[in-house]
Amino acid sequence: MIKEQNTEKQKYACWLCSVPGVGDKTIDRLRKLCPDVEGIYRGGEKLWEKVLSERQMSSVREFASRTDPDAVFEALLRKNISFVSVEEEGYPKRLKVIPDSPFGLFYRGRLPEEDILSVAVVGARECSAYGSYVAQAIGAALGEHQVQVISGMARGIDGISQEAALEAGGSSFGVLGCGVDICYPKSNQELYEKLAKQGGIISAYPPGTEPRPQNFPPRNRIVSGLADVLIVVEARNKSGTLITVDMALEQGREVFVVPGRVTDRLSDGCNRLLKQGAGVFLSPEDFLREFGVGEKAAQKAGNGSSGEKSIDPDDAENTEGMLAVPRKQVKLAPELTAVYQILEPEPQDVIRIGEKLAETMGEKTDEKKLMVLLMRLCMEKLAVQVTPGSFALLQFGPNQV
Amino acid sequence: MYCKILSGGVMGISADFVWVEVDIDTGLPSFSLVGSLGNEVRESRERVSVALKNAGFSLPAARITINLAPADVHKEGSGYDLPIAVGILEAMQYFPGESAEGILFLGELGLGGELKTVRGVLPIVQAAKAAGIRECIVPKGNAAEGAVIPGIIVRGAEHIGQVVEFLQKNGERAAERILPGNGERAAEKILPRTIVEAENLLRAKTSQYDDFAQVSGQGMAKRAAEIAAAGFHNLLLIGPPGAGKSMIAKRMPGILPPLSLEESLEVTGIYSVAGELKEGQALVTERPFRAPHHTSTSVALLGGGRYPRPGLISLAHKGILFMDELPEFRREVIDSMRQPLEERQVQIARVQENIAYPANIMLVAAMNPCPCGYYPDRNRCRCTEGQIRKYRGKVSGPIMDRIDLWVELQAVALKELQQKTGEETTAEIQKRVLRARKRQEERFAGSPNRSSRVYRFNADIRAEDVERFCPLDNAGKRLTERLYETLQLGARAYHRILKVARTIADLAGEEQIREEHLLEAAGYRPGEM
Repeated sequence: MIKEQNTEKQKYACWLCSVPGVGDKTIDRLRKLCPDVEGIYRGGEKLWEKVLSERQMSSVREFASRTDPDAVFEALLRKNISFVSVEEEGYPKRLKVIPDSPFGLFYRGRLPEEDILSVAVVGARECSAYGSYVAQAIGAALGEHQVQVISGMARGIDGISQEAALEAGGSSFGVLGCGVDICYPKSNQELYEKLAKQGGIISAYPPGTEPRPQNFPPRNRIVSGLADVLIVVEARNKSGTLITVDMALEQGREVFVVPGRVTDRLSDGCNRLLKQGAGVFLSPEDFLREFGVGEKAAQKAGNGSSGEKSIDPDDAENTEGMLAVPRKQVKLAPELTAVYQILEPEPQDVIRIGEKLAETMGEKTDEKKLMVLLMRLCMEKLAVQVTPGSFALLQFGPNQV
Repeated sequence: MYCKILSGGVMGISADFVWVEVDIDTGLPSFSLVGSLGNEVRESRERVSVALKNAGFSLPAARITINLAPADVHKEGSGYDLPIAVGILEAMQYFPGESAEGILFLGELGLGGELKTVRGVLPIVQAAKAAGIRECIVPKGNAAEGAVIPGIIVRGAEHIGQVVEFLQKNGERAAERILPGNGERAAEKILPRTIVEAENLLRAKTSQYDDFAQVSGQGMAKRAAEIAAAGFHNLLLIGPPGAGKSMIAKRMPGILPPLSLEESLEVTGIYSVAGELKEGQALVTERPFRAPHHTSTSVALLGGGRYPRPGLISLAHKGILFMDELPEFRREVIDSMRQPLEERQVQIARVQENIAYPANIMLVAAMNPCPCGYYPDRNRCRCTEGQIRKYRGKVSGPIMDRIDLWVELQAVALKELQQKTGEETTAEIQKRVLRARKRQEERFAGSPNRSSRVYRFNADIRAEDVERFCPLDNAGKRLTERLYETLQLGARAYHRILKVARTIADLAGEEQIREEHLLEAAGYRPGEM
């Protein structure tokens, strides 16, 4: 009986969230007048008029004449989309406590577990190879330790970390700035489908909502709100990522930042946050230890000795667990080894590689020879030719362009 | 009184003879000109009558009929003025009938009777020589280009009066018949034959192209330019603004093998038809370099128009067509380049005729790596993937498929600009290119290919002949298999690598294509971007 009542209530809440042009703020004001969602629906124009603008009124009238709560709810079920409102049990507790928490959430798959650590990984869309590598390493480590990864499913850092988490067998949740039935950006179609299976796709916007630019800043508050901690990988000054950081701080979330070189514009935002006192992200292990995740995992594996030997983060000599440019241990001719050691995650142009090689080998290698060496590395699947004149380590790959 | 005078016109880049038939008869005074004429030819009536009057020959008050035979071939150009005028004067018996026999006339008349240069003199003289015509009289400005053809006398005239005087003396010579005597000498004095030593001209030329030694750094791009020149491969230069893309492209004609006489005549013929020869210029002695602006239309590039003319791609025949800012060209223009790049000629179809302009060019194109020019440096480049893809997408796949060598240039550091030492000169590079050229010549001469076309360069090798001319040893085969797999090559890209490797081996002076040649060749590709 209670359950039935709940479903009824859910239908009305869902209907309210689906009215075009009516957002969380309007719903809040309506609920102040009438705390019961069914009451709001039944209150009709008399009630609505007190809160809604002319434009919103005509939109509600049109919507109400076209459909009713039952129809809206059925359409959701047909599309395999779930809904939860703030008044229900299943609503994420983390979101409940943030300022202006969304009234309702549409989702595909499931919502994050309440008692498992969840971490938001955010950063630039047009990221560097460095950023994409770190995002990938973070995602993989979190996924491996069953930490939930929350992000915006965008190009660049967001998508890369989520992809890696899923790849490592973890779970991840994508919060969209459009309806959950729309995959934006389209290039992340594969990730979108995997998220629905291995985690969830969440949005405060009703299905069918187009990805408009103004939708994204509000969804960022849900990204940080669903997480316990936020990790920023790469951000320029004045970037959308910094909006998420502001939200996270407002919501009282801890913020960790991956440091970058002071010469990299893509890390300016990160470095500034560090200056302001954000947590420093050194390595996935270091990070997980801070939240007691890595140790638990180590103990579970029955690896007692490693517990004793547990790494002292302040030991300057110790590089174990630190992120490093992953070069394969392969046997190569001395010249090839030299070139391989010079290659970095970032694409470098051939001239630069040639200069560095001249330093290590003590003599200049001519262009044709250098090209032959580089192409041999490409053939060995150790390097990749990003553009005709620039090469990078293969593990990092090009930035999916 | 009736007479006929020999002249000629161009069709495409070859020439046809035209007989100017003049008849002057009693009757109501009139002047009619017939024979499927274009506008310029129809206007000839006015030019000729005024020019003759001002030169002191008044037209008779009689019925003048002129036919340009064959009457069913469309005629255009202003070159029929002179033969028409000569025909009228002969019909008026200013000189004996036989004195114009065996002479081809060509030239435009000014209202004062002076002769002006016309297009297409070289191919017409060439055709005249082939038909056994003894002599041609052309405007003085065109005499040199005609005179490059050996075995035919070419005289350059400045004024219709000179021509008449010459024909009068020539008549005397014709009358002397048996012993060449005073008449011939007198005629020779009036209109001396023009003599051009084509071989000497070619040998004596000084290069108008700048030297490679002025390009500092950019070793990779220079190397690619050398390979392109040696095998006549199409080349794409990618780099940020100011890296020196055009600088390298403009120096490339200089490292190509010098034009042979045969090639030079072919190029000069096209220039003659297009009216691109300077007055008095005998030959095009250097490899052409043509750089169309990116706003060019496909007609400007490929040729055509109502009365077809060769386009820039044909003017770059045997040389380089440089398309700077390739993605800025209109899509339709880029697409229209596919057929000429494949066929090495431009086909222009008209209701009456089909014309083929030769277009055996080396395409050198240049572009930025992305709209802002700094990709993949993410510090400076903020172009989104979408923008980059759109920018690249403007250059369609099929034309990109026909580019054998991709090379990237880097912004040059000041340090490099300042230390300008030890850069190779054009002459040094050309020496190696010539050696590689020689190897190709010998290879293709020894083995005629299956298709009727004769290969001249490695870039010409068709897919079906790649295996024959680019054989691999076992190591090479293993390596290409791995390359094929790791780089995910298509069949076309695979052949491209083999052909470029062939050229690299030729530059190295080796007959066997080795691993290092294949690997280097594989490096000149678009990359994973």
